[in-house]
Amino acid sequence: MLDIRNLKVLYGPIEAVHGISLRVEEGQCVTLLGPNGAGKSSTISAICGVAKATGDITFLGQDLLGTEIEDRVRAGISVSPEGRRIFSNLSVEANLQLGAGIRTDRDGIEADIDHWFTTFPILGERRTQSAGTLSGGEQQMLAIARALMAKPKILLLDEPSLGLAPRIVGQIFDMIEQLKSEGMTILLVEQNARQALRISDYAYLLNTGTIQAEGTTATLGQNDELMAKLTGLG
Amino acid sequence: MTLARHQKRGLIGAALLSLILIAIGVLAAWFGSRYQLRLVYGAYVNLLVVLGLQVFMGNARVTNLSHSAFMGIGAYAAAICVTPAATKAISLPDAPWGLAAFTLDPLTSAIIAIVITAAIAALVGLFIVRMTAIGATIASLAVLVIIHSIFLFRTDIFKGNQAFFGIPQVFSLTSIVVLSVVVVLIARGFRESHWGIQLRASADDETGAAAMGVNVVRLRLVAWVLSGIILALAGIAYAYYLGTISARPFYFNHVFLTLAMLILGGMRTVTGAVLGTFLISFGLEVVRWLETGPVVAGVDLPEALGLSGVVLGLVIVLTMTLRPQGVMGDREIEDIILRR
Repeated sequence: MLDIRNLKVLYGPIEAVHGISLRVEEGQCVTLLGPNGAGKSSTISAICGVAKATGDITFLGQDLLGTEIEDRVRAGISVSPEGRRIFSNLSVEANLQLGAGIRTDRDGIEADIDHWFTTFPILGERRTQSAGTLSGGEQQMLAIARALMAKPKILLLDEPSLGLAPRIVGQIFDMIEQLKSEGMTILLVEQNARQALRISDYAYLLNTGTIQAEGTTATLGQNDELMAKLTGLG
Repeated sequence: MTLARHQKRGLIGAALLSLILIAIGVLAAWFGSRYQLRLVYGAYVNLLVVLGLQVFMGNARVTNLSHSAFMGIGAYAAAICVTPAATKAISLPDAPWGLAAFTLDPLTSAIIAIVITAAIAALVGLFIVRMTAIGATIASLAVLVIIHSIFLFRTDIFKGNQAFFGIPQVFSLTSIVVLSVVVVLIARGFRESHWGIQLRASADDETGAAAMGVNVVRLRLVAWVLSGIILALAGIAYAYYLGTISARPFYFNHVFLTLAMLILGGMRTVTGAVLGTFLISFGLEVVRWLETGPVVAGVDLPEALGLSGVVLGLVIVLTMTLRPQGVMGDREIEDIILRR
């Protein structure tokens, strides 16, 4: 579904990702693991069009490089960005509407907003309040719900567990697992390897802008040395 | 067209504001002296300016200092079109391009004034909307100076600091109350529109909004031009009531006054724009009375010329220090009255 070849991501003269290749098949959950500065978020930024990149990014047979961000959203790529990037001065409802920017079916948008308010009653209770009043975990749920408002074909999740308490992290991963079971294709970026591997089918390990290891989660899980390093027990 | 839930709420809010605006107009018409009516009319003109300012500044959250100049463009353009050729033959004997040779009806003149202001706003906007927030503010100040200089020194067209007289009095208090209700609806409609929400999101987090496909530059330009159109309406309403205009009211003092109104009330909401305008309009009348050195409760106060400038400055300093989001913050009138 998403096919990336020889991707290089550039920030001015600095190359953050040095020619990586990865694939995500429909219905899969694929995880990019790795430490800070490995190039995970840069890869996500290149896919959604925020960062400049070279190489090939093909999505459903369509070449994405050089297309506008809006066109990529239309093609079915939606992101919950690193640090959540909730619009804190806007109401919870307005945040969800922003996610639906490319849609014109007003009734469908309202119905989907209601769906999220039922799924997460706390969001419904704070409907007209500034999203900045939500807790970190609630903001993360809102960020994911907002990304889903675009009715994407693939959901990019950039560090959804960042800065959250362990119990909340569990809830977020339950939510991602639920989405996956409903058939959503997911590309997940995480530092929390244990939780991420629990729900993904395939994983890539990035470090300093290159892919160090890859494999199905079953194979990676058997590599004790690697797992120890990833889960911070080594 | 069906309205989304938050737009229905916005409509309720706009209706409540309209009722307040109509009520103030009716009270003024019943109880006000001729002099007070002029003051109230002036407050409504400033309300239009502050609403125009809010449309851009409040949604894009970029400070604009050129708004009074765009009001001036609207006022002069309408005045030049609507003033009888016979009057212009005396007042503008050297007018180029046959500007003194024709007379148009008030409606046509107003439409021409709006189109001209919108076109100039679009041209200026092409530069402004691409700048950073600070850059745009400084550039807008430069735009104010440029336009004011043209008003001042092209005396053959604008008469500079002399009075441009002979504009027929077309507007009454009723007309401006109706106009202010319409503009409140426009400002509120834009704020709650899809574009308005996207623009406010980009003001919150430009990169985050861009990642969701929001085209900040295009939206800022839309808001900037819409703001220019509302400012043109304010200028037209000003010229159509006073009958006489000059370059001075469209310069820095007015920029500062209307900015203080928007900042005090809260730039992020239309309710804030309305509240700030009336708080300062009425507050300033009290201050002007104090300036004359009246006797209050047996105490003979000294004359205090310039007090209004000090008070306006203090309003901005204190609001920015104590409550930078203004009195209303992110709340519109219906957020206070309705639950959820």
